[in-house]
Amino acid sequence: MASSTTAQAPAPAPPGLKEGIAGLYDESSGVWESIWGDHMHHGFYDSGEAASMADHRRAQIRMIEEALAFAAVPVADHEEKKPKTIVDVGCGIGGSSRYLAKKYGAQCKGITLSPVQAERGNALAAAQGLSDQVSLQVADALEQPFPDGQFDLVWSMESGEHMPDKSKFVSELARVAAPGGTIIIVTWCHRNLEPSESSLKPDELNLLKRICDAYYLPDWCSPSDYVSIAKSLSLEDIKTADWSENVAPFWPAVIKSALTWKGLTSLLTSGWKTIRGAMVMPLMIQGYKKGLIKFTIITCRKPGAS
Amino acid sequence: MRLLTHNMLASNVRGATTGYPLKLEAAKWVTKEVELNADFIRGLLPKIDWRALVAATRALGLPELLPEEQPAEEEIFAEGAAEVEGSAIRRIHHALLEIHVQEGSLVCPDTSRCFPIDKGIPNMMLHEDEV
Repeated sequence: MASSTTAQAPAPAPPGLKEGIAGLYDESSGVWESIWGDHMHHGFYDSGEAASMADHRRAQIRMIEEALAFAAVPVADHEEKKPKTIVDVGCGIGGSSRYLAKKYGAQCKGITLSPVQAERGNALAAAQGLSDQVSLQVADALEQPFPDGQFDLVWSMESGEHMPDKSKFVSELARVAAPGGTIIIVTWCHRNLEPSESSLKPDELNLLKRICDAYYLPDWCSPSDYVSIAKSLSLEDIKTADWSENVAPFWPAVIKSALTWKGLTSLLTSGWKTIRGAMVMPLMIQGYKKGLIKFTIITCRKPGAS
Repeated sequence: MRLLTHNMLASNVRGATTGYPLKLEAAKWVTKEVELNADFIRGLLPKIDWRALVAATRALGLPELLPEEQPAEEEIFAEGAAEVEGSAIRRIHHALLEIHVQEGSLVCPDTSRCFPIDKGIPNMMLHEDEV
């Protein structure tokens, strides 16, 4: 089943999920990085924009900036109010971690399930002179290895879709956020259910299941589910938006890059997990076109001094 | 893993009360010199748990590196202190940023659960029955 109702009982992660996620990224991170660079997330484009390969890197940076703007994170010039401590939850090879640390002159801790990614990300930080500010660890986002209230900015860029227990995921984000801190979640959701619906339609569930199997994704939820969870945790200033139109050029671009000589040879020398992930990309486009998959941003604030 | 990172990590094992600070057991560590930036240290210091930092240096066999009590700010950031060998700011800089633990463990103070450090990266993953 790939949909959920708003009242979710906590469930243990499906067996092998975390190992599957770690294995997928251990295997495929290098391939992605060699073609797309160190940001492993969608680019943000103007509606209807046709983007060339050169524009995509810029669009990925724009995605970060648009998310910060949406959440009204204080600007880097504001010495007092800008974030000083940041956690990047599901940090990949640390693209966001390094970008945010550099932008704000902040300390950034990243967590990932993939030891290969952590190692690569720390090496990149060292190479960029950022190892005083950025460190990546292997840890579970559902059991973050930090004491409460540590981080002014809690950042989850396209990692939420891997979390098997959305409530636990958000409650951990809230726990490690400092009082008055900002939480930013950018993630893939399925469409909100109509009041008359108790689940998605069978063909929709089917499509999601095929995507889930290839990308080691547990059950999806809707933007409303995230908002409900945030409300239940007494988080404030909850905002959400559908950015599906603003990411439309992304998957076609990824497919195009996979079909280049470099893309194909990289895929063929990677492993089965990476190839399977690549083969499922057209399904992501289908999902967006059907209005089933929603690229969603949810932001909120932890109550308390700010 | 630098001691700066160690200072921010905690154990989430079921049964742990605070899980902090983690006891450091370092099998292999190195020092890498890095330029001292006083403003940077000034920004960091309020967020540092001094006890945990001192305990970590003791665990590495450096009992003389840091005093039990955190020195006063005026002493740490005194004019010209960064140039003085053995000054408080240089010791703090060395402890936080120049020591790299490559292999070892972090031990939960409440449950004694061991988290391995491999190639400088702590692995804080819990097993299913520890959640």
